Amino acid sequence: MSSPLFAARAAAKSYELGETEVVALAGVDLEIAAGEFVAIAGPSGSGKSTLLHLLGALDSPDTGSVAIAGRDLATLSERERTLLRRRRLGFVFQSFHLVPVLSALENVEYPLWIDDVPAAERRERARGMLESVGLGHRLDHLPDRLSGGERQRVAIARALVHRPAAILADEPTGNLDSANGAAIFELMLAVRREHGTTFVLATHDPTLMAHSPRRIELRDGRIVSDTAGPGDPAKGAGA
Amino acid sequence: MKFALFALRNLARNRRRTAISLAIVAAGTVGLLLTAGFIRFSFDGLREAMIHGGLGHLEIASQAAVASRGEAALDRSVQQGIDGWQEVRATVEKLPHVVAVQANLHLMGMIQKPGGDSVSFVGVGVEPERERRMGFETKVRQGRALADATPAAGDDEVVLALGLAAALGARPGDLLTLLAASPDGMLNALDVRVAGLVTTGVQELDSRYLKIHLATGQRLLATDRVSNLLVGLDDTAATAAAQVAVTQALASFSPALAVTPWEKRAAFYSQVRNLYLGIFWFLGAIVFVLVVLATSNTLVMTVMERVREIGTLRAIGTAPGQIAAMVLWEALWLGVLGALVGDALGAAAIAGINGLHLKMPPPPGAVDPIDLQLAFVPEAFAAIVGVMAVVLLVAALAPVARATRISVVEALRHV
Repeated sequence: MSSPLFAARAAAKSYELGETEVVALAGVDLEIAAGEFVAIAGPSGSGKSTLLHLLGALDSPDTGSVAIAGRDLATLSERERTLLRRRRLGFVFQSFHLVPVLSALENVEYPLWIDDVPAAERRERARGMLESVGLGHRLDHLPDRLSGGERQRVAIARALVHRPAAILADEPTGNLDSANGAAIFELMLAVRREHGTTFVLATHDPTLMAHSPRRIELRDGRIVSDTAGPGDPAKGAGA
Repeated sequence: MKFALFALRNLARNRRRTAISLAIVAAGTVGLLLTAGFIRFSFDGLREAMIHGGLGHLEIASQAAVASRGEAALDRSVQQGIDGWQEVRATVEKLPHVVAVQANLHLMGMIQKPGGDSVSFVGVGVEPERERRMGFETKVRQGRALADATPAAGDDEVVLALGLAAALGARPGDLLTLLAASPDGMLNALDVRVAGLVTTGVQELDSRYLKIHLATGQRLLATDRVSNLLVGLDDTAATAAAQVAVTQALASFSPALAVTPWEKRAAFYSQVRNLYLGIFWFLGAIVFVLVVLATSNTLVMTVMERVREIGTLRAIGTAPGQIAAMVLWEALWLGVLGALVGDALGAAAIAGINGLHLKMPPPPGAVDPIDLQLAFVPEAFAAIVGVMAVVLLVAALAPVARATRISVVEALRHV
């Protein structure tokens, strides 16, 4: 049996808040296979973002382990983690986090640019990606000239342009109205269908939760439910 | 290189702050350019003043005289002077760049006004016409300079420096008596008439200095020798080449002659130059520190304002070295653009200051005020751009350290 794309084993993480230690994750076991679409829900402080950070090689667990495609992240150097994020993962954030001085096209080109992809190729791929998210007419617009929905489309295009194995999205519809939120959700589902890209989303959005093929609920740093929607294999709670 | 344009766009985000940073760099650049211009002007002015004030570009003296007193000695005893100096002069005056060769006779003794006290003097016998051809400046304050023509016996003239004239109570037209020892030790006396009063430009020398015609000096010392020969060139920059040519041309003369460039006889010039260079580097260090502190603070602010953005860039795979390159390019742009603006402002400031013809107080040891003229130093205009680039890269070290050590997770949470 092939190894899952993401595997967390008893992953725990705490933070110090002043003199208080806050437990963000209290030993999470989780496996996510390639091509899955997983929504992680839970109240604020339940550990959603922390789990995404661990799965995205942005942070390390205090105890336990996290592996991507069978590689334990603890064994990777800082440079290897950077390259892993650059080439294998894509990130989408609630506030879009586009570079304000770069146009939509340049923002999407950016991951290819830092990876030394030749200019003609990266321009072509970025243009094609923006067209595929419906922004072919906004290539040269700076982010502040785009609507919230358009910015999130640019962010998704940026996360997809280097053809990552997975996209980790933290509240991707959190700053959008319901129509734009639904459109972004549909876009992500379409990308998954078309490219087989794995999606892991942290969300408060009940609609998005309801329609996600797999739903994980966190509370106080623990997985309290892990259910599959139609067409997706169910996972046991707490794995 | 790919971060250069990105950095330029980042600088355009907060134009007011970028303008302030550019102004800081430009102000530092202008300050250094004005200082460099003033120092170069001072060096050039002092150099030419010393050359045309009596040193000449080259000195030809007997090797014996140079061996006994050293190269730097300003006067040479006539006992170790040059015989057959006319032939030496004729040889040297044929060489390229040589404008004229003047024979000098150094002497010292006493001078007296009838019925007055005796005052000691240091003097020099010169050839006024050749002095003029060599561009030697005589600052006549009263009366006139020495006549060009060789004076007949009984028609000998003297020009006195102001301090010496004051000590004697002498004026143009007065008859004075010079007393000096000849090379064989005999004390000779000669009556001379005061042609004019001059200043050497150096206060201490003005109290003892007089100048007579070479023929008058030879008559007073009862000799045909001269102490040394001074060579005037058409271009100070040709001094080294001319020294080689003169040395080769005189190699066969006996007794042997030594050829010394002006710089080795201008200890004062070297001292002033070293002092000014010390001041320049001191001021430069102050400017360096001020620009580093001011711009480093600005660069830190630009980093701290972009914590979340830097966190995002790190999250999507930007390496710390690439983040560092981004900040360093911003610093580099500030340094280079600020210095170029400073170059333009500095050129305008130099032209403006020179146009005002401001008077400066006499420099130490001098008696006349001088015109403040700042030199355009092309190499300083070019070098300052490189210097400011380095200054800003130094200023960027702390911001770079901060930018590259940002925790990605904390940066993403940053509001």
